[in-house]
Amino acid sequence: MSWFGWLRQKTPGLDAAQQQRLAQLPTPCALGDASLRSQRWVVLDLETSGLNLNRDQVLSIGAVVIEDGAVDFSQLFERTLHRADSRLRPSVLIHGLGPSAIAAGSDPVEALLDFMAFVGDSPLLAFHAPFDQHMLGRALKDSLGYRLAHPFLDVAEIAPLLCPDTPLREAGLDDWIHHFGLHVGERHHASADALATAELMLILFSRARRQHIDSPKALQERLGQWRRRKHAPSF
Amino acid sequence: MQHDNDKNIAVTVMSKADAFTQAGKTAVLQNIHGTLQFLQRFPPFNQMENAHLAFLVEQCQLRFYGPGDSILKPSGGPVDHFYIVKQGRVVGERPDSTETTFEITTGECFPLAALLGERATRTEHKAAEDTFCLQLNKPAFIKLFALSSPFRDFALRGVSSLLDQVNQQVQQKAVETLGTQYSLNTRLGELAMRHPVMCSPQTPLREAVTQMHEQQVGSIVIVDDQQAPLGIFTLRDLRQVVADGTGDFSQAIVGHMTQAPFFLTPDHSAFDAAIAMTERHIAHVCLVKDQRLCGVVSERDLFSLQRVDLVHLARTIRNAPRVDHLVAMRGEIGQLVERMLAHGASSTQITHIITLLNDHTLCRVIELSLAEKGDPGVPFSWLCFGSEGRREQTLYTDQDNGILFEARDAAEAAELRGRLLPLAQQINQSLALCGFSLCKGNVMAGNPELCLSRAEWARRFAAFIREATPENLLGSSIYFDLRVVWGDEQGCEQLRQSILDQVADNRLFQRMLAENALRQRPPVGRFRDFVLTRNGAEKATLDLKVQGLTPFVDGARLLALANGIHANNTLERLRQLVIKAVIEPLDGAAYEEAYHFIQQTRMQQHQLQSRENQPYSNRVDPDSLNHLDRRILRESLRQAQRLQTSLTLRYQL
Repeated sequence: MSWFGWLRQKTPGLDAAQQQRLAQLPTPCALGDASLRSQRWVVLDLETSGLNLNRDQVLSIGAVVIEDGAVDFSQLFERTLHRADSRLRPSVLIHGLGPSAIAAGSDPVEALLDFMAFVGDSPLLAFHAPFDQHMLGRALKDSLGYRLAHPFLDVAEIAPLLCPDTPLREAGLDDWIHHFGLHVGERHHASADALATAELMLILFSRARRQHIDSPKALQERLGQWRRRKHAPSF
Repeated sequence: MQHDNDKNIAVTVMSKADAFTQAGKTAVLQNIHGTLQFLQRFPPFNQMENAHLAFLVEQCQLRFYGPGDSILKPSGGPVDHFYIVKQGRVVGERPDSTETTFEITTGECFPLAALLGERATRTEHKAAEDTFCLQLNKPAFIKLFALSSPFRDFALRGVSSLLDQVNQQVQQKAVETLGTQYSLNTRLGELAMRHPVMCSPQTPLREAVTQMHEQQVGSIVIVDDQQAPLGIFTLRDLRQVVADGTGDFSQAIVGHMTQAPFFLTPDHSAFDAAIAMTERHIAHVCLVKDQRLCGVVSERDLFSLQRVDLVHLARTIRNAPRVDHLVAMRGEIGQLVERMLAHGASSTQITHIITLLNDHTLCRVIELSLAEKGDPGVPFSWLCFGSEGRREQTLYTDQDNGILFEARDAAEAAELRGRLLPLAQQINQSLALCGFSLCKGNVMAGNPELCLSRAEWARRFAAFIREATPENLLGSSIYFDLRVVWGDEQGCEQLRQSILDQVADNRLFQRMLAENALRQRPPVGRFRDFVLTRNGAEKATLDLKVQGLTPFVDGARLLALANGIHANNTLERLRQLVIKAVIEPLDGAAYEEAYHFIQQTRMQQHQLQSRENQPYSNRVDPDSLNHLDRRILRESLRQAQRLQTSLTLRYQL
């Protein structure tokens, strides 16, 4: 316990209200045995200043919620984070967030607190989740001194697991969008990618039910088996 | 707990409602914005205010359904959501069959009737492929219904409101180009603004003409004490009086008026008056209500606004001194049609007018040919077949005609035929000059096989019915729509009656006709949007005439022949089939609307082609239509498909 206390003391500049909000964040739940449909999921996408896991920063967060088996448009999350030292770098071409948009963004502390309140105790889904998990975890640690412990499932793994007949290898989000013929609008923002990922997940949940994968826990276990099988030949 | 939840939802709805009144101030979330933009491509969402639309999207859930997944079903109880297809296809299946009754695709909504009626849906809604639907809860639907009038109109009137929109579009275009609200559907009561000019029968001629002069009108109506019209006196009559030179202008007008003038009620349409004037060669129509004169509509009232002088055109045709005058007038008919279409005239009105003018042209050609070649001294009737027989001609048409005459025996028939053929051939050639192209199949009166006595025609038709070869079936689909354009009509009616009697007795022939009527399949797939034929590098298109209209024409002909209906016109046949309870009133109305729409699309296409100097074609690329037209066209073709399916059941094919 004192360890955490020590960590928390190192967190910079949280005022009393922010400290209180931080303390009130719910602890995440492990994936359970209830039905897939009854599980609330948060589908996440981040824009970052680059792909360097140790140096680059989260610039914006987009997230949508899948609840009761549907994407709920009344629960959308979208924040651009204010980064004082943002310089123009080649990745601006990818995420499209210019220095002015970032300068006009929200205070990262507030934005991250808002986001974690939005997530609540729900598990997270993302395409290439380990990247988002790492970047979000580091941002939370740096800004809030918070340790991210929510379960993360990777849509880039769930898709080939549930669609074994699909001849896609190492496919990106665009490949899957194309494969399922999803009509997605212009995707210039993390939230649009999050929505596209969520639509993909709705299809995948439907496939999961047809394959008798009925609970979040079962899905997690099947993912584990799949991952082991995939790595087996290399041993 | 449940109760609290409900309250929560209600509170959320309220706060959202407050929030969107200030929506302009806060930035809209990207995903809301994206969905808004998507919806704005479709009616009614493209007519809704942004704030209302944003409210709708914020209350939505996006759901996915795999192929075959049931979305709504009759056993599911009262419907509590409104659905918009974001992507994919939803099909409806009635519980008693697996026949697809409708198809809902991107941008379309369901189930309006069940939702408004607070009942379960009557049709199972299933996803036909991977499908995403936006789902709106009922409280939000009700709120939106109250807030947005375009949404309300749409919900209340469903697809029929789409048809209204098309009509509004057409009318609006007319208003834009001609700057007037005038339409052929205007009530005559609204057109005849002025108090009618009238006088008593004993009024001296001079006094009546003075009255006409002072009021600047071309006619005066002579009425009795109860103001019932007795006669009409027009400038034409005045000309007659002056020309006769015997005119004593102190005489009573009663001696010079045209008695028992034609009249309509103020509730008749401008179209009715135009038709009456064209048919009767009159320039004034009295309006009578409760046996009292209440107005007069003149040719000028009708056409001055749109400068479409139908009556004048008809009269010029009937008085044309030579065939080359008639040829020159064909161009004017084209312009007339163009203007009428621009004025929002319906395809039925236009085909009616074209038929009327074509009939006038034909009669005049016959009269001129008789004058030129001399009367052969044989009474004959000029028959026309096919679309002309059905009164469904468009501007671009070829000849399908024949001659009917009476003869005692074969020898006399041969002799009379010999006298009639030169005249018939001359008429065919003159008609070709007037723009009725010669028939490639030689279905023309100048062909000895089509210049027949009544007995010969009867034998020929009986053979069609008795021996159902492919040629005979094709023949029956042309010849059994026969009509007399010139000459006595009695012989033709006798022929028709005997056709009806024989067909009613011959179930096998009916079955063959039914098979024939199924040859042209409307180009909508059970599980696809349009099924189009692609010809080499050309764009995929569909044929509005062959694939769209023919199924209705063939189906209506078969049912009419089998049920003793004398009418030739497809819409008239459908109406009478409803009256005879052969088809359901709702089906009849749906077929009529669908037929009408396809014909309208075809005519607009022809007009466009002629304006752009392209060869005319019945093929259309559905992608070139606007969203609304495209959708209605698809539904219309689906009605053709339903008609065919009903024939399949009726004749167990």
